[in-house]
Amino acid sequence: MKNPLNKRIFREIKDEAGKYLVIFLLMTAIIGIVSGYLIGDESLKTAYDESFKKYNVEDGNFELMTKADKSLISSIEDEKVKIYENFYIEEKTEKISSTVRFFKNRKQVNKVCLWDGELPKYETEVAIDRLYAKNNELEIGDTLRIKNKSLKITGIVALSDYSALYRNNTDFMFDGVKFGVAIVTEDGFESLPQNHLHYSYSWKYNNPPADPLGKKAIDMGNDFMNSLSKKAVITNFIPRCSSNAINFAGEDMGGDRVMFITFLYLLIIIISFVFAVTTSNTIRKEANVIGTLRASGYKKSELICHYMAPSAIVLLVAAVVGNILGYTVLEKYISSAFLNSYSLTTYKTLINATAFIDTTVIPLIILLLINFIMLARVLSLSPLKFLRRDLKRHQRKKAFRLNTKIHILIRYRLRVFFQNIPNYITIFAGIFFASIIMVFGIMYSPLLENFEEKTVDSMLAPYQYVLKVPAETKTKDAEKYGAYELKTTGRDFVEEISVLGIHKNSKYFKTDIKDDGIIISSAYADKYSLKIGDKITLKESYEDKKYTFKINGIYEYPSTLAVFIDIDNFNKTFDFDKDYFTGYFSKEKIKDIDESLIASQITKDDLTKTSRQLEISMGNMMNLFICAGVGVFMLVIYLLAKIIIEKNTQSISMAKILGYNRREISKIYIHTTSIVTVVSLLLCMFITHKAIIAIWHAMMMEYSGWLPPEIPIITYVKVFILGVVTYAFVALILQRKANKIPMDEALKNVE
Amino acid sequence: MSYLELCNIKKSYGDGESKTEVLKGISCEIEKGSICVLLGASGSGKSTLLNIIGGIDNADSGYISIDGEKTADMNEKELTLYRRKHLGYIFQMYNLIPNLNIKENIEVGAYLSENPLDVDDILKTLGLYEHRHKLPNQLSGGQQQRTAIGRAIVKNPDILLCDEPTGALDYNTSKEILKLIEKINKKYGNTIIIVTHNDAIKNIADRVIKLRDGVIRKDYVNETKVPVSELEW
Repeated sequence: MKNPLNKRIFREIKDEAGKYLVIFLLMTAIIGIVSGYLIGDESLKTAYDESFKKYNVEDGNFELMTKADKSLISSIEDEKVKIYENFYIEEKTEKISSTVRFFKNRKQVNKVCLWDGELPKYETEVAIDRLYAKNNELEIGDTLRIKNKSLKITGIVALSDYSALYRNNTDFMFDGVKFGVAIVTEDGFESLPQNHLHYSYSWKYNNPPADPLGKKAIDMGNDFMNSLSKKAVITNFIPRCSSNAINFAGEDMGGDRVMFITFLYLLIIIISFVFAVTTSNTIRKEANVIGTLRASGYKKSELICHYMAPSAIVLLVAAVVGNILGYTVLEKYISSAFLNSYSLTTYKTLINATAFIDTTVIPLIILLLINFIMLARVLSLSPLKFLRRDLKRHQRKKAFRLNTKIHILIRYRLRVFFQNIPNYITIFAGIFFASIIMVFGIMYSPLLENFEEKTVDSMLAPYQYVLKVPAETKTKDAEKYGAYELKTTGRDFVEEISVLGIHKNSKYFKTDIKDDGIIISSAYADKYSLKIGDKITLKESYEDKKYTFKINGIYEYPSTLAVFIDIDNFNKTFDFDKDYFTGYFSKEKIKDIDESLIASQITKDDLTKTSRQLEISMGNMMNLFICAGVGVFMLVIYLLAKIIIEKNTQSISMAKILGYNRREISKIYIHTTSIVTVVSLLLCMFITHKAIIAIWHAMMMEYSGWLPPEIPIITYVKVFILGVVTYAFVALILQRKANKIPMDEALKNVE
Repeated sequence: MSYLELCNIKKSYGDGESKTEVLKGISCEIEKGSICVLLGASGSGKSTLLNIIGGIDNADSGYISIDGEKTADMNEKELTLYRRKHLGYIFQMYNLIPNLNIKENIEVGAYLSENPLDVDDILKTLGLYEHRHKLPNQLSGGQQQRTAIGRAIVKNPDILLCDEPTGALDYNTSKEILKLIEKINKKYGNTIIIVTHNDAIKNIADRVIKLRDGVIRKDYVNETKVPVSELEW
């Protein structure tokens, strides 16, 4: 015989439809978002990984000063590689402030993925990168104008070797707004201005390394570069293992996985506690029935399962619906965050078993575990205690005294507070969790804006050039500097640190650097919690050689993890010639150095690329955080405050009989919760700030670079106001609930 | 040999100065298939004794033996199984599950037994068949108590424990309930122990045990047992 108690599970859900619906909607939304993220991320990552084979992505590319003839190609191919021409022309666009790199259609290597439309057939047609098109609001049929030439856009494409739109491999960040790639026909390519033609070649190894990013790949790249440099003048050399344009997207994907899953599990823990508290309330209400059932021989385990069932069913259904939404609507939404950042090839949504385990199985286990512990504790009381409705484990011998000088309404309110401490603790935890989510959502844009402002304010020079080879200039105020890249020596995470050699009495770097030490950027100091007097050890990128420096000062430079060192010391440390330098700081544009000798120019746009790109990638997602925060806030407070009203139904009814008016009843039962909510909100602002800084710090340790977590006070004010407004709405519902309690309630069910 | 044996049962609540001895050494024997009435005023210890027999409360000392099985030797799990197998409970308040209908409430009892009685038969016996699809709050107090009786007897328990089963009912309904208990005893042969403070009810018992201040004041076989229909108070 089936347990007849099961029949009431769905009736219980129906009777408490409001409560379960709100929880269901919130859980569905959160599981949907996380599931959408995991599915989208995994689907895109799979497509990205497969794209290497599918589109035959190069093992590297190099650029020569002049076009290689057949014999040179043949000689290079003797190095066990196959060479492919991949020339490009770079032109500034008109009307749109950007630079586009034009390629001929690639048929053998780095093949093109067509997203929409068709590849160009005529000289005046072009297919442009999807992300560049989107960021600049270009569509099929539009015209792309470059110097004296108009090209009709016929297709939207992704180039498999440009999944991240890095113009130069040394750039701090990719830029899908001001830089794009495009495909034209052979004739079209010939018709473009040839003065910016780059003789770029791709290579594929005859026997490629098993791990394209491993040490063997690095060694093979270095060996090939050494051989190549003996045969031709190389102006650029990027093996695949060092190519940001190829690798960056793949390395970034999956980076937020831990954050999303932690977010989901924290929410599940809060919801589980809410369920546990509300179920305990149901048990309190049904104490005599439970006592009878236990006295009749129902096992504790049967009752635990029975009372756990509604929450488990709601979560399970929410997980199923959430996963369906995750695979459909939300996957598209989340994937768009990646597609807004990277020029990825087309992909298919894949079934993801891990996502199911992460978003369904584990949350269910968490919920069941927390509820089991709480229910097992409550239901371990003897049947007699249930029959007597005496569910306190330890009976207080005497009621604690309150000073009789305190006004009766305040004493009454205090009693309500002490009666409901477990509910209020859960409310506090819920507010804390919701505040973290809301602060995270609200702080994001101001944080990025603040970073941009600070970065622009603290730029070393209006113009900063990186040269391919040292070249002299007569530009007034131009100042040489040296630049070198070292790596941190962390075990799990390694990132690049820029070492800049600065002249004594520099016009651009306004602090003196002592000969025996270094100055580090504020970004570096903040990220690694470094202070003056500390020693840091950095290592060569591809060697084991290590350097230890003593920190003599910290320079306000929030955009880059950098070490500043006296240029003489710099050249000595890295074994460069005494007069070696890498580039110039300048107050004005340098015009007397040939463009071909300039590797890159670091502008305001370059330094703020990170924040610009993050705003584009994550900006929309932050609205989800705000909505989720408000949802959690509302749910937790409403459900737990509702219990307080329900628990006191008879007392409220009796107070009405005695003549207490609505305002007085509200003062006792609702204002207590209001005070707890407001005080919790205020307290949470301080704790949340500390927690956010810690979370942000931990999160940034997973990424290269640093964004200082400077959260303006207005963010907290906004969260506080949002919290109060949300609570006001909840209080209104509670007030209506209290008003509806009839006076005869006190006269019935008196057992 | 007696079916139910109570030997020197003692029970107290509280400690130190506030310690109250509720049962001060109760010993008695109850025959199988009999109706036993535990009579006493409020605070005499009769409900406590019933709870100890039912295994939902523990005695401080002494033991209870049912068909040779001592409950004192049982752990919580065994006690649950013991209640599941041997006992049916009826309380003054009916304690029905509000969102299950009458038939389902009785099925809640049937589920506990390996050989339950037929639920429809019980419904007919209790006169609830036409109300079987109603929820408890749609029935009168007497009908609800009848449902509670149905839930207790459907598993065909060896012992039916009734704690003030008519305490919340009017005269006519009380008689109706007692008639039912009598009918069940005749039909199924269960041992029935009724706790009550209503002196008149002793007349329907085979055995009467009067308690006062935690001790048995009277324990006798009722030679002048009357059917419920002849009961007056």
